[in-house]
Amino acid sequence: MPLLFAIIATAFLIAPLFIVVPMSFSTSTSFAFPPEGYWLGYYRAYFASEDWLIPTANSIVIAFCAMMVTMLLVIPAAFGFVRHRFAGKAAINLLFLLPLAVPHVVAALGYYGLLSRLGIVGTIFGLIIAETALSMPVSFLVVCAALKGYDRNLERAAMSAGAGPLRTFFWVTLPVLRPGILVAALFAFLQTFNESVVALFIGGRDASTLPKKMFESIRLETDPVIAVVSTLLTGIVVLAFVVPVLFRRKPAYVV
Amino acid sequence: MSFDASAGRAPTPVYLRLTDVVKTYDGRTNAVDGVSLDIRRGEFITFLGPSGSGKTTTLMMIAGFEALNGGSIELDGKDLARSRPYERNIGVVFQNYALFPHMTALRNIEFPLRMRHFPKSDIKKRAEQALALVGLSRFADRHPRELSGGQQQRVALARGLVFDPDLLLLDEPLGALDKNLREQMQVEIKRIHREIGITTIYVTHDQTEAMTMSDRVAVFSGGKLAQVAPPLEVYNRPANRFVGEFIGDSNFFEADVDPKRPGWVDIPAIGPVRVAEDHGRLPSQGTIDLLVRPERIKILTANDGDHMNALDMTIDALVHYGDSVLAIGTSRGRPLRMRVAGTPPAELKEGARLRVGWAPQDAHAVARS
Repeated sequence: MPLLFAIIATAFLIAPLFIVVPMSFSTSTSFAFPPEGYWLGYYRAYFASEDWLIPTANSIVIAFCAMMVTMLLVIPAAFGFVRHRFAGKAAINLLFLLPLAVPHVVAALGYYGLLSRLGIVGTIFGLIIAETALSMPVSFLVVCAALKGYDRNLERAAMSAGAGPLRTFFWVTLPVLRPGILVAALFAFLQTFNESVVALFIGGRDASTLPKKMFESIRLETDPVIAVVSTLLTGIVVLAFVVPVLFRRKPAYVV
Repeated sequence: MSFDASAGRAPTPVYLRLTDVVKTYDGRTNAVDGVSLDIRRGEFITFLGPSGSGKTTTLMMIAGFEALNGGSIELDGKDLARSRPYERNIGVVFQNYALFPHMTALRNIEFPLRMRHFPKSDIKKRAEQALALVGLSRFADRHPRELSGGQQQRVALARGLVFDPDLLLLDEPLGALDKNLREQMQVEIKRIHREIGITTIYVTHDQTEAMTMSDRVAVFSGGKLAQVAPPLEVYNRPANRFVGEFIGDSNFFEADVDPKRPGWVDIPAIGPVRVAEDHGRLPSQGTIDLLVRPERIKILTANDGDHMNALDMTIDALVHYGDSVLAIGTSRGRPLRMRVAGTPPAELKEGARLRVGWAPQDAHAVARS
């Protein structure tokens, strides 16, 4: 029985790929399935079109910057929360996780009001700020969990070995926490890369992201290039998971 | 006579000196409550006590991981108060090994040498020597997760020793190992201590470990030092009832000193017994605790003279250890334990009533506090 559920769930998750991937090689001008013929025309179209490449570049830049800012904020915050006791800790913790509870549309509306007052609606900078706020809760939780499982005797051992606080952090604490930090960073990147609601509100024409462009493309024109984009994105994610496995000599240390 | 705190002062030159060390976490109760102790260079001293007795906290203060709330710690005449843990030259071994999981065994051992700026040419040689000292040369390139618990603890030991520290601190280092491995590691640690002669402080709650390994044992109780003495003295002449009960098996009798008959005390319900006066702990009057170790009690035969303190014992249960048998019973309603070495005699049976006794010099009187 559990096996059956697993098969059904897996099928449900990967079935769309069997539609989307063949469709990206289709010769049809719409989303006809099964495709009438196969060619690489829409791949050529994607890589030749600024309408697609600029949002792709925007998305990569925004997701990368939001990820960096998120980690710079989340790592110190997690150390503060896990290691220290202070007044109002529970309240601040709740505040930190609030973006998880607020619907993105509501958040987007709020960000729109704030960022327009600052005059940065429709800019990449404005979008980075909004997306950072949204990606913080999950990354924060992941880093906190890693930090809670971290044995502080490792730091004591490093200190008695002669390492000061800075060297202890960079030689021992950070490397040991690395798996957790990488996962948190990956979540932050993907969250921002895939986010569409806030991107629609804040992005405007100049800071159009890939999800926004895909959304518009599906609404205004039934352009099969969207299948190309979907296939490429899926491929990149699969590579991101498969490559480290192939190149790993020994099982990685797990927190 | 109460325990004299100055007994912790060693006559030979002092290497590490703890003076009235106090640690409190909540400002009201002291986790460590005025500990004073002198440790000689090259000595192997064990901090023994139940959990929460302040032994590990004291160790952590020596290492520099915890700040003192009072008193001072001096190493070789220099006050340690102002130096951070990484400015001290002290090796620490933790119960859970605390090896760096992202480094190989060799890298772990090289770590203190790198952090302490040993010359490059020295680092590899020293680390390999340390690895050889703990017998793990073949495992240099293994990561901690690829080593057994005992091997990991050996690596931790090598890491704690490799930079020639002034002191080696071990915090219940064998607590996570099984019994056989623990004994093996005890021998190993003693061998290493003999070979390099480093001043060593060993924290444990295991009295056997303390007895077998130490030059001296410091018994902690409620944040204070209950006794500091060589293992056999702690065993045979405990300073108080707590020490006597914590270390080894014991029979304690509350007894009244008979001021009119020197050398005699009166145990209520059992009657007058003789005690040896020569150890000078017997007050001239008042109530004392009389300690008789179970292995000092024997089954009396017709050949035993009347100098023995004799009483009747009813055997309730026998516990066989293979090399000895422990008889648990009562004498006139008071619990009594007797340990008989070797093959138990035929008359030692559950339910039996036997004439047992001990020689006066085998009883040890402890003043009640």
